[in-house]
Amino acid sequence: MATVSYNKATRIYAGQERPAVNELDLQIGDGEFLVLVGPSGCGKSTSLRMLAGLEDVDRGQILIDQRDVTHLPPKSRDIAMVFQNYALYPHMTVYENMAFALKLRKTSKAEIDRRVKEAAQLLQLDEYLSRKPKALSGGQRQRVAMGRAIVREPQVFLMDEPLSNLDAKLRVQTRSQIATLQAKLGITTVYVTHDQVEAMTMGHRVAVMLDGVLQQCDTPRALYDTPQNVFVAGFIGSPAMNIKTVPLSEQGASFAQMILPMQREQIAAASSGGGKVTIGFRPEATDLVGPHEGGLPIVVDLVEDLGSDANVYGHAALDGGSERFVVRTDRRGMPSMGETVFIKPQPNHVHAFHATNGNRI
Amino acid sequence: MTLAVEKPGPGTATPPERPSGARRASAWARRAPLLPALVFMIVVTQLPFVATLVISFMDWNAYYPDEIGFAGFDNFQRVLTDVNMRDAVWTTILLTASVVIISLLLGLGIALLLDRSFRGRGAVRTMMIAPFLVVPVAAALLWKHALYNPEYGLFNGALTWLWGLFGADPPQPDWISSMPLSAIVASLVWQWTPFMMLILLAGLQSRPLDVIEAARIDGATSWQIFTNMTLPHLRQYLELGGLLGSIYVVQNFDAVFTITSGGLGTANLPYAVYQTFYNAHDYGRASAAAVVVVIGTIIIATFALRTVSSLFREESGR
Repeated sequence: MATVSYNKATRIYAGQERPAVNELDLQIGDGEFLVLVGPSGCGKSTSLRMLAGLEDVDRGQILIDQRDVTHLPPKSRDIAMVFQNYALYPHMTVYENMAFALKLRKTSKAEIDRRVKEAAQLLQLDEYLSRKPKALSGGQRQRVAMGRAIVREPQVFLMDEPLSNLDAKLRVQTRSQIATLQAKLGITTVYVTHDQVEAMTMGHRVAVMLDGVLQQCDTPRALYDTPQNVFVAGFIGSPAMNIKTVPLSEQGASFAQMILPMQREQIAAASSGGGKVTIGFRPEATDLVGPHEGGLPIVVDLVEDLGSDANVYGHAALDGGSERFVVRTDRRGMPSMGETVFIKPQPNHVHAFHATNGNRI
Repeated sequence: MTLAVEKPGPGTATPPERPSGARRASAWARRAPLLPALVFMIVVTQLPFVATLVISFMDWNAYYPDEIGFAGFDNFQRVLTDVNMRDAVWTTILLTASVVIISLLLGLGIALLLDRSFRGRGAVRTMMIAPFLVVPVAAALLWKHALYNPEYGLFNGALTWLWGLFGADPPQPDWISSMPLSAIVASLVWQWTPFMMLILLAGLQSRPLDVIEAARIDGATSWQIFTNMTLPHLRQYLELGGLLGSIYVVQNFDAVFTITSGGLGTANLPYAVYQTFYNAHDYGRASAAAVVVVIGTIIIATFALRTVSSLFREESGR
């Protein structure tokens, strides 16, 4: 168990201008479950591999438990990693897969046996111990990969999209298993995923990355409630937040016929945006209103009935262009395709961002 | 089309039957263009073998034209009990085993060196393959004259130059007569190492990278990764290279014929067959020996095919 710190850690691949990871600063507490999330190519996997020692650190430092590991080989870092494709040793049985690291460390046979059996029980792998990975299902392989990490009793767990090869149902199930297991073992965990639902449900804190730069690192709730910039606002939440750049007026943002009120400081901060401001409102913080209540009329393109509620996708002509909108509504008010409905963002749930730099104001 | 409405029976997926004459005609229309090739192949490859098989059971020596007749297993008995033949079998085994093992080891080493990226890797790889592309007889001649020759060969020339640096009298061994079998082995190893290297390089490059990374995180040193991950992964490729190499080296004739003419105890089975046929003119015994070589090759080939198919199973099972 340990803390992990990235201090301005930078990775630049040979022959590339832009760093894959750019001055990453991140402090991860003892026993914390931190999720790195972002679209593909954002540097989240590279960051994890830098921590694992599989990728060089060109500038900056990485500390595990206050110890500088920046240039240590992977084996001296006391970490365990779960790979996307599990990376099980194909010619070894499940038992040998889990015992391999302990065997290399010259742990006694009895101790190896005890730890492997214990992990196998925890992961319900008892009956598969003598099988080769080839003879296991995807979910079982995933559990073996977890088991291989657990028996090590490392200081830090690293997980690189460990659920992306599972089918949807198993993924949800395993997601909660991993979170429970981590809580039980209390081992500091860094988890990489591109799936924001995974990030929000599993992480104590979530770090959102884009183009090698950390955008925001906060609790799932804070990310959802106060996204620090337009990218985080659009990335977190499903369906994504409606984000539009609209003219700025003296009272706030003028959106269609509505004025979405903003505070004086916000308006002052937004004024350098060329008379524009970017507003965002979540589908679930938007109401369908009657035709004469001043809402924006949109034409419904698609309705997703989710059982408990429904997502309404539509478009509207706004400032000469066609803009797309999503609204979440309960099933009673569900419109049908081609119908025109009127939407109105809940004024106290509107996020405002600077029109040019995209930062929250 | 009288049967078109008939319901197919359970479990049969065959289309409704056409009149058998028409069906046969259409089947032959498809086969006929292939026939010349088939006939040609049978005439060229199968008939000679059948003839060899028949002759191997016959008493047939060109020096005794009056005694041609059926001999039963006599020829085989003579092949297996004759001292020369037994020596030839032993030489064949020794030659094949040493060539295959040494070229596998060298090929593995070179493959490991080439399995990393460096400037001009493509050019180096192509040049490494060159020996395998040289015509076997040409390669044997090259070794015999350009390298081994005690008067003007490169080896003794190099020794002269090296010793000359220290002003000493250089040794000038006659490579072929002092170590005949090793001379042949060396020339064959030179030819077969690239082949082994190619197969092993393909094996190395199909190694899953994340497994190696997992092993590194698990604390394995480079040597431990090699013995625990790389070698087990390469096992099938090593088997494949070994078996394919064996099939070809067992039949080798060019190198033995060119470098030593089978002298000094280097006559392997193919060479013994050649000698019995063309020098002793004992067609029956030569054929019997040839059949023995074929049986030996078939045994090795069976293992080779098994390895190849297990390799394919593995690849498709991924």
